Amino acid sequence: MSNKTLQVRLIVLTLFVVGLGAVLYKIFVLGFPLLPEKRQTVWAVEGHVSLQAQGGPLSVSLNMPDDSEYLQVMEISSTGDRGLRFAVDKEGPGRRATWQGEVEKGPVDIFLQGRVVRRDKGGGPGRQQRQEEPQLALEEAQQAAATALAKQVADRAGSWAKTQEMLRLFNSPNQPEAQLLLRQAGKLGGKMRLISAVLTQAGVKVARVKGLRLEKNSRNKKLQSFLEIEDDGRWLLVNPRTGKIEPGQDLLLWQEGSESVLEVVGGKESRLRLATLASQMMAGKSALAAARKAHHPLVDFSIYSLPLADQNTFKLLLLIPLGALVVVILRNLVGISTSGTFMPILIALVFLQTKIVTGMALFLVVVSVGLVLRSYLSHLNLLLVPRISAVLVFVIIIYVAISVVSNKLGFAAGLQVTFFPMIIISWTIERMCVLWEEEGGRDVLIQGSGSLLAASLIYLVMSNHYVSQLVYVFPELLLVVLAIIIMIGSYTGYRLSELRRFEPLVRP
Amino acid sequence: MLVSPARLRKAGIVGMNHRNVKLIAPNNPRRLYPLVDDKLRTKELVSRAGLATPRLLGVVRSQGNVRELGEFLAGLGTGFVIKPAKGSGGRGILVVAGLREENFVKPSGELLSLAQVQHHASSTVSGLFSLGGRIDVAMIEEMVHFSNVFDGFSYQGVPDVRVIVYKGYPVMAMTRLSTRASDGKANLHQGAVGLGIDLATGQALAAVQHGRRLSHHPDTGRLLTELAVPRWPEFVRLASSCFEISGLGYLGVDIVLDRHKGPQILELNARPGLAIQVANGHGLMARLALVDGQVPGSLDAAGRAAFAMARFAASPQVSPA
Repeated sequence: MSNKTLQVRLIVLTLFVVGLGAVLYKIFVLGFPLLPEKRQTVWAVEGHVSLQAQGGPLSVSLNMPDDSEYLQVMEISSTGDRGLRFAVDKEGPGRRATWQGEVEKGPVDIFLQGRVVRRDKGGGPGRQQRQEEPQLALEEAQQAAATALAKQVADRAGSWAKTQEMLRLFNSPNQPEAQLLLRQAGKLGGKMRLISAVLTQAGVKVARVKGLRLEKNSRNKKLQSFLEIEDDGRWLLVNPRTGKIEPGQDLLLWQEGSESVLEVVGGKESRLRLATLASQMMAGKSALAAARKAHHPLVDFSIYSLPLADQNTFKLLLLIPLGALVVVILRNLVGISTSGTFMPILIALVFLQTKIVTGMALFLVVVSVGLVLRSYLSHLNLLLVPRISAVLVFVIIIYVAISVVSNKLGFAAGLQVTFFPMIIISWTIERMCVLWEEEGGRDVLIQGSGSLLAASLIYLVMSNHYVSQLVYVFPELLLVVLAIIIMIGSYTGYRLSELRRFEPLVRP
Repeated sequence: MLVSPARLRKAGIVGMNHRNVKLIAPNNPRRLYPLVDDKLRTKELVSRAGLATPRLLGVVRSQGNVRELGEFLAGLGTGFVIKPAKGSGGRGILVVAGLREENFVKPSGELLSLAQVQHHASSTVSGLFSLGGRIDVAMIEEMVHFSNVFDGFSYQGVPDVRVIVYKGYPVMAMTRLSTRASDGKANLHQGAVGLGIDLATGQALAAVQHGRRLSHHPDTGRLLTELAVPRWPEFVRLASSCFEISGLGYLGVDIVLDRHKGPQILELNARPGLAIQVANGHGLMARLALVDGQVPGSLDAAGRAAFAMARFAASPQVSPA
């Protein structure tokens, strides 16, 4: 028995030393910051080109994102398969990334990664030149429509007002001239090309750009089109879909004018998908550290080496052990009973998506309505599997009802009910109902509130930026979490609740 | 109100974590659990060892058996109990005191038709009362003619005596008395009264309800310390013998008293709770340590029972400073 105790201690010690050692090494030797000095946003941006190679020489060329007044692109790198040669053809705007090589027939996946940081106040120089739009060859009827449209905005003062009016015309379904042109937009190089040509005719200096809106965490994104117009010597970025001026701080310019985004020779079904991931806390310093030491085994064999889209998944996965730790602490050190061991973690994950108040309200509604319906099933004396299946059907019906009713009433929050894992919710309802019958409503309240308390605490831990950043930058901390869990597993002392429970025994 | 862990430790109180890590994990091998979780196997085990237990009259194993039930029960001529072998929390136990013409009579005087009894057996077999809804079997055993020494000590039903047996040595005993507040259930945290029993004498000790000491039963008003369990040495010996037959080093033995046949083992429990300490007003730790100091296998069941009765008397109650 003492042999086992020794083993536990050795394992705990080893995990602590290895985990903390790696963290300290990364801080002091590799220069990772423990706590970021400044909240700077760094976006990791990834372009994923997938295509079917036809066999033989393959050449892929991808337009690269450009620096803007607000944003700076750095650390462009590529991970491609099949040994393609990666190169960046020139510097400055309009630069392209190219991959070339001989490949066998089959799917090819190429990743272009980069980091985007916000420029310091004052911004960068911005782009000086805009590409001139070549003339659009229009047929007679189309030309007439374009002229009519240009005339309609002619009386507006200034380029911005003209543009606003023009976009209104193009976005209105009842504008005959605009609709005539739009029907043929496909042949004329697209809607944006058309709008810019008509705007040019109206005397507005205009350029087209495509960009990616930098979001906290997004996958499978496409580039969006924007117009730039010159107004009083300044270039304004306009969103043609809303007709509003874009601030541009979060827009990563990717392509200008008629440049092609992606060119592939020797392959087909090519597709470009984009992903972004913002790290609030990881200041440029840690990103730089990661990049500088990219070939250090501790970094090279870490989450950083994974494709960006998968890094997003791991960011969440890395937090789950912390949730488990909270459950262990609550159950074995505090003595709170929860319904289902890991149910609180799953509920906390839902809270992360719905925000805690909405999540809590939805959970209470679903479970209490479920309990009422389930208690009716008790009278029918059903067997277990049909019974729990019936509860599952109830749960789905409740989801639908909540979504539809809340949508009708105008609360969009109700739709988030679908984030709750329905199997887990069904089991929770079933278990609570059995508990109610066997032990009474008091126990249901105790366990239910215990579960919600646990879920809320886990949510607080998981949603904390410092915590999530810490485990993301130092995944080695999981070993420390494991050590603590094992340690608690062999803890034989009292639980907090027992200090109350056994109090009568020592009462004088 | 919280107390410091140091005071609990000084009083020798065993906590849940200690129970799980130090008492259950090393002493109760997992493979032995089915012996006690399935009451039919426990019954076979106990009766094969010649220990007193309510006699097993029959087993309903399938829905086919349910149809033969009428003929079988008519020929019994005694009171009987139908209960699930893997039931939990006392659910699904049907007591029939006797027959009146075509009908069955419950102890309350309520009449049941054969169809109702059959339905109960059928529900049991299909797993209605078992944990997780698994297919179960219904056991039919002889009804216990409860001794009347417990009259007035319980709001409903007849209490059993729970003895904790550590490595074969009975270390503590109690009885749980149901109350109106506990809805007739013998569950302490639902408001049943826990009444410690002196291992040496069978005499009741201090009683506790909801963590508070009390002297009289809240519903019947009986002075609780008046309870003295008769034939107590037999209880202790029965409990002690369960160690050999089950192999479990940390064991709860539930025993009832039959008016004619004396103490009868009702069931065994591989994870007995710690409320017994509260009911006794005494921690387990010192007694466990004393048992740990004994040479394993040096005493037989009777010897261990004698040891327990001699050493674990409650009398000089030392209240910790």
